[in-house]
Amino acid sequence: MSQAPTPTSPGQAGVSLVRQLLLWVLLPQMVLWVAGGVGSYKFAAGYANQAVDDSLLQASRSLARQLKPIGNGLLIDFPRAAQDVLEADPSDRQLYMVSSPPGQFILGNQALPPPPAFSGAGAKAQPLLNKPYFYDGTMPEHDQRARHAASGQPLRLVALYLSFGEDGATPQTMLVQVARSSANREELAQRILVDMLLPMSILILLLTVIVWLGIRAGLSPLARLRQQVEGRAPTDLAPLQLASAPRELWSLATAINTLLSAVQNTVATQKRFIGDAAHQLRTPLAGLKSQTEIALQSTTDPELRARLQRVHESATRSAHLVNQLLTLARAEPESVMAQDRQRFDLHRMAQTLTAEWVPRALKAQIDLGMDEQSTPAVWVHANELLIREALTNLIDNALHYAGAGSQVTVRVLPAPLTPANQHQAMALLEVIDNGPGILPADQERVFERFVRATDAGHGCGLGLAIVKEIVERHAGQVELAEAHPGLCVRVRLPMAGKH
Amino acid sequence: MKLLLAEDDAMLADALTTQLGGAGFEVEHAPNGAVADYLLGKQRFDIAVLDIGLPMLDGLSVLKHVRQTQPALPVLLLTARDALDDRVAGLQAGADDYVTKPFDFPELVARLQALLRRSQPASASALLGRLSLDAASRRALVAGDALELSGREWTLLELLVSQQGKVVTKEQITQAWSAEGGETGGGNSIEVYIHRLRRKLEDAGLVIRTVRGLGYLMEAEA
Repeated sequence: MSQAPTPTSPGQAGVSLVRQLLLWVLLPQMVLWVAGGVGSYKFAAGYANQAVDDSLLQASRSLARQLKPIGNGLLIDFPRAAQDVLEADPSDRQLYMVSSPPGQFILGNQALPPPPAFSGAGAKAQPLLNKPYFYDGTMPEHDQRARHAASGQPLRLVALYLSFGEDGATPQTMLVQVARSSANREELAQRILVDMLLPMSILILLLTVIVWLGIRAGLSPLARLRQQVEGRAPTDLAPLQLASAPRELWSLATAINTLLSAVQNTVATQKRFIGDAAHQLRTPLAGLKSQTEIALQSTTDPELRARLQRVHESATRSAHLVNQLLTLARAEPESVMAQDRQRFDLHRMAQTLTAEWVPRALKAQIDLGMDEQSTPAVWVHANELLIREALTNLIDNALHYAGAGSQVTVRVLPAPLTPANQHQAMALLEVIDNGPGILPADQERVFERFVRATDAGHGCGLGLAIVKEIVERHAGQVELAEAHPGLCVRVRLPMAGKH
Repeated sequence: MKLLLAEDDAMLADALTTQLGGAGFEVEHAPNGAVADYLLGKQRFDIAVLDIGLPMLDGLSVLKHVRQTQPALPVLLLTARDALDDRVAGLQAGADDYVTKPFDFPELVARLQALLRRSQPASASALLGRLSLDAASRRALVAGDALELSGREWTLLELLVSQQGKVVTKEQITQAWSAEGGETGGGNSIEVYIHRLRRKLEDAGLVIRTVRGLGYLMEAEA
């Protein structure tokens, strides 16, 4: 017997199919979602900028119109009303500044940073006149004119370069700048973003749930297939049910079924070989026994008789072993017999069988009987021949090991209801002897094949193994109990329902 | 008693011929099914022992054939196959009994004798120890002296004697009594009748054993 391979732990197993499918379906969706989010934020910000820029440009042009060039100077006609229009919104006040570059302040309510392209040391390009320049900036720090906004606040600005001065005179440039806080613009962009992303996120979540449910539903045949394989006994080689398998699983299940039937054939062939071998041994053993018996009868030489006696014992033991091996083969779940069950009265069967054994027990000077307290009509659903075989082995064992002068009692009764068996009423079948019993240390071992607790008798160590095999095949249990003195072998079998 | 033994294993056949001869049978041996079939058609046998796995013609075919011409011939099947598997087939083919190899020779002889007893016309008398029964007159004699028995006692005694060496259950006794009719109930239990019989059979050289929880068994005193 080779050692069974250790089962692959879940950690070693490949990625779960569900997880893989979810990943493949949902990961691209997440990427698309993020890209969509980023894109829509960009669009939203663009539209918001556009709107702000348009209003800034409008404001700067109307501000420029208020400045009228006179000769080389400027007439500033900036009435209070116009100023109020510019500064109308108290929460989003427009800031403005008119200057004559470089840096000559003319009027305004705020010192504003010049457009980055035309300020600083690196600025070489000449600004185009009448072309609005839009740019982002921040409120300059520590300006005494900073009455309206905190320094460092982000701003959106427009700069408009205009020329003024009389014809022929040196043209002069003036710079009109209007600014608004960026906060409003960002708020707008964010609102657009939220309005777009929220429904999209909910959609994604719903989709995820639906996809997950779909995958689970789609993979359920796989789970069913797994249950079919997982739940079965190692000896159950029946083919998998293919009726509900989808096309993709069909080939896998068919392959497994092919393997199962191949294994089944191999097992059946081996079992048949064992059975045939055992059968083939019977005739020569019968011949050996008979010949030895004749030889024993026809010789008087005590030494020869002793040897022949041992040959005869050996032949008898071999015959017993062959029979036991065949019984064991019959109890195998594949055998037709193990599957053929009928409802019968365990008490009546035990009674008949015990009665059959009484003459042999009397010959061995053993008092064999049924317990007077046995209950008649204890119905079980089992293979009667196999249960009979099990009881035969128990009685045979008891007669062998209890010894002459002892008492062997068979008892059948319904087991008292316990929490363990309250769902299934059990029948008790006990064989009790007042012989030497079995040492506690040996009690577990005696159910193993070819283990014998004593050297007495001609047993082959298969009796209790056969009983265990048969009883467990019928969803029952077998245990040894002390009988003070002696041994009680207790068999529990599920009782049959009332018709 | 003339016995046909159809067995192909030479060693077993040789041993059985010797043993059965020792047990008082006149044995004719057939090494295969064809010979067995031929012998059964040619000679008159009292009983036949057929191995199922015979060459040329298997035991079951021989059995089916002989059943057509001699339905009353007692036939015992010997088999190396599984008793449980083949029992039904064998009995369906008309076998009277069935013995699985390897067997204990005394058991084989006991079964053959039982078959012969059954095939003989119902014997007028049975013997056990010093007791003899005369079924026709329903009389029991111990060493020639008639016993005084009631109807139920006679039925009980006859049942025990016919089943000598085997357990007779209380159920069987009750059934035998009710089949007999006549005196019913009476409150007297089986134990009382057994007790009376034991007293009356004190000198008959036999014992009626009580088998716990099962019934009674009659056998010759050791």
